[in-house]
Amino acid sequence: MRVLGAVTVVALAAGLVAGLGLAPPEVTQGNVQRIMYLHVPSVWVAYVAFAVVFVASIAYLAKRADAADRLAHASAEVGVVFTGVTIATGSIWGKPTWGTWWTWDARLTSVSILFVMYLGYLLLRGMIDDRERGARYAAVLGIVAAFNIPLVHFSVIWWRTLHQPPSLMTPGPAMPRVIITALLVNFVAFSLLYVYFVAKRVHLLRREAEAAA
Amino acid sequence: MPDNWGFVLAAYGLAAVVLIGYWRMLVRRERDLEDRAGERSHAAPISGHPRSKPDSRTSIQ
Repeated sequence: MRVLGAVTVVALAAGLVAGLGLAPPEVTQGNVQRIMYLHVPSVWVAYVAFAVVFVASIAYLAKRADAADRLAHASAEVGVVFTGVTIATGSIWGKPTWGTWWTWDARLTSVSILFVMYLGYLLLRGMIDDRERGARYAAVLGIVAAFNIPLVHFSVIWWRTLHQPPSLMTPGPAMPRVIITALLVNFVAFSLLYVYFVAKRVHLLRREAEAAA
Repeated sequence: MPDNWGFVLAAYGLAAVVLIGYWRMLVRRERDLEDRAGERSHAAPISGHPRSKPDSRTSIQ
């Protein structure tokens, strides 16, 4: 765990240097576009986290394995943290570029619904005293809530939004290599941070369960 | 081209506060759990009946 933590800190430092130092300011937005190196990896981690909740919830319902339940619980919590970071950084990015902190655009609204759904998931777990019943209800919600992920991702394509469409995977003028590299470094750093947080949280949940038994 | 470094620093600062805050919460909970486990192992009697505290014993007449 310590080694993973140390590697994560190094990767985050490299991401910070790449995003704030090495990458050039964007032609139209200027320096404020540097928020992308934080905002996009955050939402990526949130997607991965909730996809893990989906898979672990199915595994729990199929096998009633406590390890799958702990993984779903930990991943949902970390996903909520990263969704919060995504919304907050997006709002800060929106003010200088769109002229507003918030607008009820399809992407912003759908990601807020995602955030509230998984916050509800965590509240549900905390509200039910019977551990097995709580885990079962949470698994069902973890599966249902995951259907919101494609809705969030494709909202910018399906509806006319203020939020820009995905720029990495769509055909068009190629992004400068230095921008893509800085983004990739931050993707790796945030993914490592996700693994570190989930591993630590799963370990904590296991020890809490052992102490309660 | 506008500068807007203030917005960039606000975004990075806020993210750092949230992520470091979450990490600190995990570390604190882990430490609390270790403390409780330590207390429990100290409180448990080794074997047989627990001994009474000296000040609760009555003196022999």
